[in-house]
Amino acid sequence: MIRSDIIRGHLDSIILRLIMEKDRYGFEISKEISLRTGNKFQIKEATLYAVFQRLEKKELIESYYGSVSKGGKRKYYRITTLGKAFFKETVVEWQETKEIIDLFMEGFN
Amino acid sequence: MNRLTQHVSDLFKDVPESEQKASIMQEVLQNLEEKVWDLMEQGKAEEDAINKAIVEFGDIEDLTKELGVNKSAKPGKSNTKNNTKLNLEYSIWGSVLIIALFVFMNFYYSSHVIWFVYPTFAVLWWPLTMYFRWMKVKGESKN
Repeated sequence: MIRSDIIRGHLDSIILRLIMEKDRYGFEISKEISLRTGNKFQIKEATLYAVFQRLEKKELIESYYGSVSKGGKRKYYRITTLGKAFFKETVVEWQETKEIIDLFMEGFN
Repeated sequence: MNRLTQHVSDLFKDVPESEQKASIMQEVLQNLEEKVWDLMEQGKAEEDAINKAIVEFGDIEDLTKELGVNKSAKPGKSNTKNNTKLNLEYSIWGSVLIIALFVFMNFYYSSHVIWFVYPTFAVLWWPLTMYFRWMKVKGESKN
C-alpha cells in the first residue's frame, strides 16, 4: 500500500470529487476509493469521518438522511456550490504542484 | 453485530457527550454494518468480517480532534489564563501588605535608619514573577 501521508493532504479533494459525481454515503465512498485505486490506497474510516466533519464545517458539503436501508438510515453527503468552486481551485493548484514536483522527479534513473 | 455497537461506543468513550457525537456514532455504526454485510456477501464469515471492519477502521484520533478537543481545549486555556491573572492580583495585594508592614516597623521602631528598602526588593520578586507568568500565558493564548 502506498504511503498515505503524501495522499493525506489531498483527501479533501478526493472525497469532494466523489461526492460531486453523485450524492454518496460513508461506506460507499471508502469502497469506491479502494475500487478505483485497485486497493493500492484504502482510506481508514476514522479518517473519512474526520474529513466529513471538516468539510461540513467549512460548508463545502452538506448531509441528509436517506431512506431506510438494511439496518438503518444512511447519511448521504452532497456537495455545495462553495464545495464545487473549492474543488475547481484545488484541481488547478494540483496541476501546478504536479508540474513543479515533476521537474525534479522525472527523467532520473 | 453487538460487538460492533460495543466497539463503536469504546471508540467514542473519550469524546464529550453531544448531539453531534450521537449522530456520528450512529453514522459510523451504520457504515460499519454495511461494510460487514458487504464482506459477508463476498464470502467471509461474520466473525472475520467484523474483525476486518474493526481493524480497518483505524485510529480515531483525527476524528476526536475534529469533534471534542477543540471544545474542551478552549475553556482549559482560558482557565489557566484566569488563574495566572488571579495569581498576579493576589501577589500584588500580598506584597503591598508585607511592604506596608516593613515600612510601618521601620518608621515606628527605628526611624533613624531607612532599612525597609531591602526587604521590599526581596518581596518584589513575587509579583514580578507572577507578572511575567501572566504575560507568557497571555502571549500563548493569542497564538
